[in-house]
Amino acid sequence: MWSGMRQLIYLAVLVLLIHIVHASNSSDEDTVTFTDFTLNIGDRIDIGDYQAELIEIQSVKDGLAVMRVSKVGGPLDEQRAFLQDNANNFDGGSEEGGITITVTDIFDDRSAKVRVEYKEGLGTARKHTSERPLVPSDVPNLVVQKSFDRNQISVGDEVKVTVTVKNIGTGQALDIRTEDLPPLPEFSYIAGYPPKIKDTLDPGEADSAVYVMSAVKEGSIRVPAIQVSYTDSKKNAKSNNTEPFNVLISPKSRPDLLIKLVPSGPIATGGKGMLNVSLSNTGKASATEVEIEGEIKPPDGLEATGLDRSFFEIPPEQDANYSAELLGEKAGNYTVSLKASFHGGDVAMIQEGKVEVVVLEREYKYLYLLPILPIIVIVAWMYKRYREYKY
Amino acid sequence: MLNVLMIGVGQCGNRILDAINKEAFGGGGAASLTKYYLRPKFPSRVETLAINTAINDLKELRFTTAKDRLHVPNLHGVGANRNVGKQAFMDNRDMIMGEIEKRGDFDLAFVITSTSGGTGSSFSPLLINELKRQYRNITVITIAVLPFREEGSIYLQNAAFSMRELMDVEAEGIILADNQYLKRFSGDIASAYDKINNMIAQRLLFLIESLDSEMLSVTDLGDFKTVMNGGLRIGTMGFYQADRKNPSVKDAIENSFKPGNLLYPANVTDDSARAMIIVQGSREHLDVDEITKEVEKLSASAGHVFKGIVVKKGYPKVLSVFTMASAPELEAIYAQAARAMQDEKEKRLRARKQMDDAFAHIEDLEEIY
Repeated sequence: MWSGMRQLIYLAVLVLLIHIVHASNSSDEDTVTFTDFTLNIGDRIDIGDYQAELIEIQSVKDGLAVMRVSKVGGPLDEQRAFLQDNANNFDGGSEEGGITITVTDIFDDRSAKVRVEYKEGLGTARKHTSERPLVPSDVPNLVVQKSFDRNQISVGDEVKVTVTVKNIGTGQALDIRTEDLPPLPEFSYIAGYPPKIKDTLDPGEADSAVYVMSAVKEGSIRVPAIQVSYTDSKKNAKSNNTEPFNVLISPKSRPDLLIKLVPSGPIATGGKGMLNVSLSNTGKASATEVEIEGEIKPPDGLEATGLDRSFFEIPPEQDANYSAELLGEKAGNYTVSLKASFHGGDVAMIQEGKVEVVVLEREYKYLYLLPILPIIVIVAWMYKRYREYKY
Repeated sequence: MLNVLMIGVGQCGNRILDAINKEAFGGGGAASLTKYYLRPKFPSRVETLAINTAINDLKELRFTTAKDRLHVPNLHGVGANRNVGKQAFMDNRDMIMGEIEKRGDFDLAFVITSTSGGTGSSFSPLLINELKRQYRNITVITIAVLPFREEGSIYLQNAAFSMRELMDVEAEGIILADNQYLKRFSGDIASAYDKINNMIAQRLLFLIESLDSEMLSVTDLGDFKTVMNGGLRIGTMGFYQADRKNPSVKDAIENSFKPGNLLYPANVTDDSARAMIIVQGSREHLDVDEITKEVEKLSASAGHVFKGIVVKKGYPKVLSVFTMASAPELEAIYAQAARAMQDEKEKRLRARKQMDDAFAHIEDLEEIY
């Protein structure tokens, strides 16, 4: 009987063990788990008999995605708009043995992150990638450019800023807005600001806007980015922007006249010579109302004609040339000075140049003949006399 | 201004004329150079002409221009033969006189010649006649040079006959220069010729200058003609130049009479018929009283003496011109010439006799071949 008893105990322990094991198995099957998937449109999640397919992204901005959920062999076949981060239960949800689907993130108009919750007893959730070709959608894509019409800018320079927006996407861009922050205080706006860009741009279409501003302060400045925002046909808001860049504003451009005086050479007393005057504007701005006034020191002995001149404007990097006639009346060294007064922008400026002019002593061109002629005459005379006495 | 013609005939006359031209260039060695750049400085308008039959004699001249050298073509000289010379002159008379005529009209002519040579001694009398015929108012003075006595019999003979012809022509007078006499004061023959030529040249130029100058006391060409017409119409000249050591005009006058300063040996005091004394110098050296006294002293023995004083800067220079009442030396020359001619004649006769005697040996013989 002990032995029967013992067998009975063994049997009871065994039954107990089996019950424990069975009990533990039942508990696992009832546990709810979840899995996150990144789905493109057409992709599908399979879990048990359930199937959930991402149909479309209705609005990235509003966080709306449309999914179709069905059950093989069952009455469930529903297409529903999912609001981002809102759980949607099917067949009572995961707690009741059904499934719960939540769109946790919408990446763009073609993909979203989806979480599916279910009891483990339904098995393992798997993703089926759609084999359908990706149908291009009408998606606008605007690129924006901002450019200056010159690389070197000086204070006072006017700069044309061109803003160009181009739709390189496949869909029409709507509600286009540009936002261009002014780089104040280095620039002041003159005209055309803010840039006006069309509200809509068809694919491939571009539009530009130009505004003018003036550099008012020297220094290196960072030109802020311009941002363009728009929506697609589904009212999805999008934006793009340029990269900010640096420009250097140099000090205000001024003219710089270089006066070069080149005499034709030493002048004989009583002779004439030329003085070539060259005015080179080596500055960055035009010299205007240029008045040339000459002076000769000492004042007596050298006369100049045409030394004083006027020029309305000498543009930068350009020359103005003229010649003055010099008449040497008395031998000596003379200094010819030219004073050029002109305007450079709003500033009156003066530049001077001078050169030495030599008036030579009166030159007797055939002076060397003087000692020779008497010798020739004497020799000729002596030869004549020799002939007179030659018998 | 006097128009003067100076003609040098023959080698001797040419050389004296050349010396005159040299003196006109200032004389001395400098004249060799100055002739190339200066004109000869004559006191008057002087034309010179050298005439010769020997072209080599003309080529020797150094101060006479080529146009003033006239070659009379007659082979190469006349060989001291006066007859050949006379014929040559007559053959070329028109050419010679034409050459003179080119030089214009003249108041005074000097014909300078040696009495002993061929061309000069033969041409000169004929030339003087032609001059007197062609220029009616011309005064012709012959400057006749007597030869060295040892030069030979022909020269002595030529001198004798030439002098006779010169005295026969209508010239106003003859001024003699005696080589034999002057040689005593001149050393060797070569330097004697040069010195004699220079002495004659110096005196002639001084004479011309004085005749053509404004004088303090006047002598002119007329006075000179009067002097030269005195006595034998043969005269000579004396010259002296005072210096710083002895600037006395009185001594200068007396020294001009001294033998060393005369061209011909003459005793001025005893032999002179007329005289002319020309004194030149600075006013402070010209004491008129002293000059007058000296002239008066000379007048006491020489008859009439013309006096000329020319004020010109320098120490006193005195030229004395004399015509002689007698010429003993000239007579001696003729005697010597006659002896020489006689000797020549005798030698020629002896030679002829010797030749005749020699020929006598072959008389009546004929050549045999």
